Amino acid sequence: MVLPPALLTLGGCSNNGLYLLKPEGLISHTFYHYFILDVVIMLLIIVPTTLLTIWAMWRYRKGGKGSYDPAWSHSNAIEAIVWGIPLVTVGVLSYLSVKAIYDVNPYNPGVIAKAQKVDGGDSVEVDVIATDWRWLFIYPQQHIASVNQLVVPVGTPVKFRLTSTSVVNDFLIPQLVGMIDVMPGMRTKQALVADKAGTYIGFSADYSGAGLSWMHFQTKAVSAAQFAQWVKSTQQSPQHLSYAGFNRFAKPYIAVGGDQQTFGKVQPGLFDYVIGEVMHGKVWRTPMAMTENMVNYMQKQRAEQKAGDY
Amino acid sequence: MLVHLQGPWTPLLGRLTLQQIPFHVPILVVTFIVVAILAAMVLAATTYFGKWGYLWREWLTTVDHKKIGVMYILLGLVMLLRGFADALMIRTQQAMAVGPGSPGEMGAVHGYLTPFHLGQIFTAHGLIMVVFAATPLLVGLMNIIVPLQIGARDMAYPYLNALGLWLTTAGAALVMMSLFVGNFAHGGWYGFVPYFELPYSPGVGVDYWMWTFQLSAIGTSLGSINLIATIVKMRAPGMTWMRMPMFTWASLSTNLIALTSFPVLMVALALLGLDRYVGTHFYTAGMGGNLMLYNDLFWVWGHPEVYFLILPAFGIMSEIIPTFSEKTLFGYVTMVIASFAIGGVSWGVWLHHFFTMAAAPSVNSFYSVTTMLVGIPTGVKVFNWVFTMYRGRVRYELPMLWALLALFLLLVGGMTGMMNAFASNDYMWHNGLFVVAHFHMMVLVIAASIFGAVEYWFPKVFGFKLEQKWGKWFFWFMIIGTGWTFVPMFFLGFAGMTRRLDYIPYTQWSPYLHIMLVGMVFYVVAVLFFVAHLYVSLRDRVKNRVGADAWGTGRSLEWMTHSPVPAYNYAFIPHVNVLDEWAWRKENGLTELHPGDYEGIHMPKNTGVPLFLGMLFMGLGFALIWRIWWLALLCVALIVALIIIRSFDRDTDMTIPAHTVEQVESGARDETSVAMPTAGVRGGTVIAHSILQSGTSGISGSTTSTSPSLAPMDR
Amino acid sequence: MSASAAQKVDPAHATLWARHYAGHDMIGTRTFGFWLYMLTDAMVYAALFATLGVLSHVVNLAGGPSSSAFINPVYAYGQTITLFLSVLIYGYSMVALKNGNRGGVIGGMFVAMLLGVVYLVISGIDIGNMFAHGIFPQVSGFLSIFFTIIIYHALHIIVGVVWMLVMMIQVAREGFSANVVYRLINLRLFWHFQAVIWVFVFAFVYLQGIVA
Repeated sequence: MVLPPALLTLGGCSNNGLYLLKPEGLISHTFYHYFILDVVIMLLIIVPTTLLTIWAMWRYRKGGKGSYDPAWSHSNAIEAIVWGIPLVTVGVLSYLSVKAIYDVNPYNPGVIAKAQKVDGGDSVEVDVIATDWRWLFIYPQQHIASVNQLVVPVGTPVKFRLTSTSVVNDFLIPQLVGMIDVMPGMRTKQALVADKAGTYIGFSADYSGAGLSWMHFQTKAVSAAQFAQWVKSTQQSPQHLSYAGFNRFAKPYIAVGGDQQTFGKVQPGLFDYVIGEVMHGKVWRTPMAMTENMVNYMQKQRAEQKAGDY
Repeated sequence: MLVHLQGPWTPLLGRLTLQQIPFHVPILVVTFIVVAILAAMVLAATTYFGKWGYLWREWLTTVDHKKIGVMYILLGLVMLLRGFADALMIRTQQAMAVGPGSPGEMGAVHGYLTPFHLGQIFTAHGLIMVVFAATPLLVGLMNIIVPLQIGARDMAYPYLNALGLWLTTAGAALVMMSLFVGNFAHGGWYGFVPYFELPYSPGVGVDYWMWTFQLSAIGTSLGSINLIATIVKMRAPGMTWMRMPMFTWASLSTNLIALTSFPVLMVALALLGLDRYVGTHFYTAGMGGNLMLYNDLFWVWGHPEVYFLILPAFGIMSEIIPTFSEKTLFGYVTMVIASFAIGGVSWGVWLHHFFTMAAAPSVNSFYSVTTMLVGIPTGVKVFNWVFTMYRGRVRYELPMLWALLALFLLLVGGMTGMMNAFASNDYMWHNGLFVVAHFHMMVLVIAASIFGAVEYWFPKVFGFKLEQKWGKWFFWFMIIGTGWTFVPMFFLGFAGMTRRLDYIPYTQWSPYLHIMLVGMVFYVVAVLFFVAHLYVSLRDRVKNRVGADAWGTGRSLEWMTHSPVPAYNYAFIPHVNVLDEWAWRKENGLTELHPGDYEGIHMPKNTGVPLFLGMLFMGLGFALIWRIWWLALLCVALIVALIIIRSFDRDTDMTIPAHTVEQVESGARDETSVAMPTAGVRGGTVIAHSILQSGTSGISGSTTSTSPSLAPMDR
Repeated sequence: MSASAAQKVDPAHATLWARHYAGHDMIGTRTFGFWLYMLTDAMVYAALFATLGVLSHVVNLAGGPSSSAFINPVYAYGQTITLFLSVLIYGYSMVALKNGNRGGVIGGMFVAMLLGVVYLVISGIDIGNMFAHGIFPQVSGFLSIFFTIIIYHALHIIVGVVWMLVMMIQVAREGFSANVVYRLINLRLFWHFQAVIWVFVFAFVYLQGIVA
């Protein structure tokens, strides 16, 4: 019953698009390692249990060959085994789970800390602001910003600080790093190292309203030289982002076509300014017309906002 | 108006305007027409056959725990169908809206549903399936079976029992109303803050969601008080704790969870309500609110709620498997301990619902380990069921098939659950489809148990077995549908696909989404088979008549009274000597159920008050949703007045005279041995005639004057 | 286990039916259920106090006043005295119930109810004063939960007062029927429970607020 779809899914589409199974970053590799361990250990229990169940079902069917003993309902040895097996399994898995949690802890991933200890070297800082419904990546060291496009150098730890203007989002790049909540008025952290150059998809994983499905971004992992080149060319961009400009930028907007954009200069401290504003009650409210009839609104807002620079 | 609202508001109608009726959404207009036609047909048929009096006397005003249970189950089945329709729409939309080039129909950019519409659908799907389908189905089963299993004549508080039913129904009615008047929340069944705050969800949808949820929470809390008191206080003489059947133990454990967790949900929702109605700052991002507080409060209820649903399912499996293995349950004491261990641990795991909310690694570690602990008692239960079959004589009748399906699904669900509990895995797919597929496995465990329980106890309640042929088709198509729908969903989980997308940008995922559609086709066919199953069973009810011990190998007390069960359950209260009393009596040849002279039996009288209270609460909910303050105040005043008036009613009980008991008992005894009368006299609840009805109809003067029939419920 | 236990019972001498079963103890069952209800209400309070704990940090004041700036302990003290006095007098009324003294029950309950009303008046003046000084629940997260707790408690007192009013009429009409007696016992539980909760409100909302 279950086999046909399983075979079909495997055969028909190979593992195309199964991003979690194709890790390309230090964090996602760590996840993958523990994931395989976890699955193997669980299968060691589940497969024999399944076989045992099927055997009992067959052997002791009515009219079958199994002996019949209706009063048999207790055995200390079996009790010990049925409590013992889950207990041991959970013990082993708990140990692994705790170890894994510290290894991929978003605030200070053990694996990245270890790698940095060995290699030394700087990390790149990125401040992420999620609006309704776009991603703004600010590079505070370089004073530039990029919308819906994250560019990171390969092999270098990238450290994120994240906040949101309105509602809770979830920052996810399946092939590089797992989820972390992006919350308004608060700051969370995340870190990743990309192992291989390439373009990876990233998106918001937590429901944030009508524009959620379009709230995705490209992650470009490039060589250090290319990264420096990108920074330089971005700094030439004539568009600048000030506090006042951000207030306009943060209005609800659905990036239907991916809508990437760069800012050559960003007013320093914008990230903390946004957190402070939200904490003091600043709200970029969603117009009822937008929640309830997004399609019309999308056409209208495109006409309005296309021209504006922030 | 206490807060800034977008859109108009008038004192007379609140936010209600003609624009709130969605004439422009063709799907809803068609749905409305279909529902209206169906409703008109039902009403016309009731009038034509002159069944209003019967409906009022036997059902709407009843305080009989069995009838209340049946109504709970009917409510659950109707809502299950609604939730399934929602699921169909979600799957179709997602299969259509893949890739930037995918076409849009009916005003949508991609697919055929706008994000706002799809948002309402998956919110409704989740809320309905958890709160208005699974919960009423299980509460209904507990309502019917627990008093029978402990040898009681009724619940501890029959009147409260009816009130719980009508409050839940009021909530369900409001959910349905949101289809045609206004709209429902669009964001996910468990609610998001600050997304559900007024600035981001300015419409009435969240208010609908909040008040329906609140009503059902109140209803379920009342039900749990009732079931606990029933189990603790109403057991038959001789039924010590360790002689209680497993389903009763599971009910006790599960209702202790409900009793302690539902109040927290009420607080979580009420504080959100204060934010939305009064403008307080509990969950706002700014002004001193704390949005993480909502997640904690909600899931402090939410996770115990999950076990509130799964424990009765385990209880059902623990009843069915011994019966059809013709053998005692293996490790009874262990099973009791495991049930309570699961219930206890359920309180210490809620943080795993937001592992990604940046708690310290030590905190996440703690909750990861506690979550895995759940696997121990659950694993024990699985082994105990297997060892119950060991040295048994397993008969594969429909209830057993469902119970075994639940067992296998539990293995898949349990394994994937352990994978989710492993927090580093969860970081990768927390809001993703892997989690969705996992908990659908678990709710399918619950669903399979419920179908098993319906097959298993149906003859007890209605006096005839459900037929087997169409039931088996239904069973197998459910399995195939499950495989085709959820295997690809696990793969999509590995793809990193997240929940609640109305447009999927990545075309690589489309094969999986299309395979899932195949599964949905199987499910649709399965639903048709289920309808055929019910129809054929009702048609052949005379052929499938059964006696007290419907399956021949029943073990617990409920098989010691007639099928269908008379209004008073037991003409004589059994004295319990051992665990599995009925199995023991059969072994020793003590199967006589009529030991001597009958006595008058004291029972509560029917009352319309719970129904009226339910209606008033629905009115209150409606008024609050649309902010019609005068109507809300009126409803509150009427509710208080009605409760006080009822408390002055002294005429709430009656005594069934001994000769009536004798009449009913001898009738039931004859009919199980002699050939059946023609169809129409006995049979389906809804279509059957009342032959033993007596007394007047309507509420005249006192609030409790209707007289139900004393006979088994299907007369 | 069960099977071996089953063997121990001698089928020949087992009691199979509870003839002349008197039924369960109605008052005891009703009271038990009321305890369960109070457990749910205790959980509501637990969730509210947990919320108070979460929303009691400086950041939750959002620039609004902290409780030490506006709490007037005199009012809370007055509420404490009236509520405890009311509970005490309700206790006397229960003593009268034991003696079967209808007048005593009604009289005691009347005084207890009046004290409940006095409590509500004090509470109303207190809250009114705060509102007059611009201290509203909408000002900050902390004030939201502060007012929620004290108003939720006051709502219980209102319910208690109405309930006592109803019970006085019922005692006068019906005397001490089983229905009336179980309601009097439950009302006693309810009223004592409000005093117990008040201890927590007083300690965590008022005293801790003043100290903090």
